[in-house]
Amino acid sequence: MSLKDSFDNRIFNTFSASAEGLALLRIFSAIFILFFLIPGSGMSHFAYLSTLPADFYAPPPGPLRLMESFPSLSFFQVVHTVLILSLLAMLLGYHTRWASVTVGLTILILQGFIYSVGKVNHEIVVPLVPLVMAFSNWGAAFSVDAWRNKFSIKPESWPVMVLAIFIAFMMFTAGFPKILGGWLDPSTQAAQGHLFNQFFIRERQALLAGWAAGFDHVIFWEILDWATVLFEIGFIVALCKASWFRFFTGLAVLFHFSTMMTLNIAFLPNFLAYAVFLNWDKFYNSVHSFYSKRTGMRGEKSARKTHYMITGIFILLLLPVQWMSSRNLGLSNSDLMLHEFVLVTAAFVLVLFLALQKTVRLFTAESSD
Amino acid sequence: MQNGITKTSVRTLFLVLLIYLPIQYAAVGVVGYYDAEPWPAFVFPGFKSVYVYGDGFEITRTVFDVETLHRQRSYDMSPQELFPEIPLSQIPGFVRTHFSDEEAVQSISREGAEWLRDKSADIAGFEPHAMHIIELTEQYIHTESGPRLQMALETGRITILF
Repeated sequence: MSLKDSFDNRIFNTFSASAEGLALLRIFSAIFILFFLIPGSGMSHFAYLSTLPADFYAPPPGPLRLMESFPSLSFFQVVHTVLILSLLAMLLGYHTRWASVTVGLTILILQGFIYSVGKVNHEIVVPLVPLVMAFSNWGAAFSVDAWRNKFSIKPESWPVMVLAIFIAFMMFTAGFPKILGGWLDPSTQAAQGHLFNQFFIRERQALLAGWAAGFDHVIFWEILDWATVLFEIGFIVALCKASWFRFFTGLAVLFHFSTMMTLNIAFLPNFLAYAVFLNWDKFYNSVHSFYSKRTGMRGEKSARKTHYMITGIFILLLLPVQWMSSRNLGLSNSDLMLHEFVLVTAAFVLVLFLALQKTVRLFTAESSD
Repeated sequence: MQNGITKTSVRTLFLVLLIYLPIQYAAVGVVGYYDAEPWPAFVFPGFKSVYVYGDGFEITRTVFDVETLHRQRSYDMSPQELFPEIPLSQIPGFVRTHFSDEEAVQSISREGAEWLRDKSADIAGFEPHAMHIIELTEQYIHTESGPRLQMALETGRITILF
């Protein structure tokens, strides 16, 4: 195989994608962003920013330095409205590519101003997912575009590889500074130090934080330091195979779950990107075959009903979580939101389930050999 | 391929991406060292600092202390209290950017100082004459019953007179 063929194989064939699977991912992403990942979590944050004196406008180096102060509230309201409308268009698959790109750009604008108080948060995967996946033709099925027969094009899987490269590289940028900072030095326990910092300074004391703060076991914390660095650096190697990358994505979910339980940091935006690597085709096929068996319905009609059912399930599951979280129900002693806890825990349970399923399959295959 | 995206343009995109990502990471490091972390940038947080040394650890916190003339009344508030709409994840960076050095604090405009005075007055319940931005360095030691505060030192103080 020539170098060009090998390169082509890697970028075009590492991940596979069907129109139905991508459509479910599009619907899930739109609902997930709409309910949980809109920057600022409501207009009150932007109302606050627009009243801050220009002294506190400290944009990071980049395009936002063209401005001299925070824009007015009406500017934020317009961008926010465009974002919501684009998300709805993305959900329905109406001019899907443009809607997805607009979602990405409007999120970038809102995030940019939020970070202009003097601190950048690393949530760029939220706009990155719709911006990149816009080119996967994720509006090719279960969409207004498909219904109007506006385009009949095949889905593309290379944007999934683009996202994988972004995630692997960004994980590397999280691991590399830790090596320079001394995380691998056995005389220091960096993860434990961060735990104390979160516990005492930021008062993140919910879930297992109190237990972890009292757990002074040098070897445990040192192993955690090494495991964190190896896991973050190792993501780059995982790009070699789709199954390795999925395995590392599963590890990432476990990592974030443990971080949430002890440091009360959920990193929810990353889960939008991890969700891209779920096997949506298999999920669709399982639900579709279940639905067909139960109703005896076949063909296009059954596919459409399956899609409505899955969309309905997403909304029914996520809407109550969003509603309860928006009313500050649940956690105390932390700034961790209820929806973050529920969603990260659900992802953790899903990963455990998938790992168990895989293990059972491996054992079954071995015993049949 | 369709929609005007050819296989060649996708190959080019990947090549550009593979060259661009390391270069932008280096640029983030350089710009971050001399100025601040640029944005947008494709990086995750490094959390490279190490706070634990030997049998103890050290953390630094900032307290905003407001007082009336001759300190007849005073009130200490945390950054989270004074800036409630700034997410907790951004508070340390926000405080570091605006309140960690004398020059930055003294360059706060009249409008900015009045805003701080009004917000702190709402919280403290009196009209302050001055605000002290105090940096406290706390040293903890490990004990059998968990970490215990051993010492708290004032390691910095900047004052704004209203």
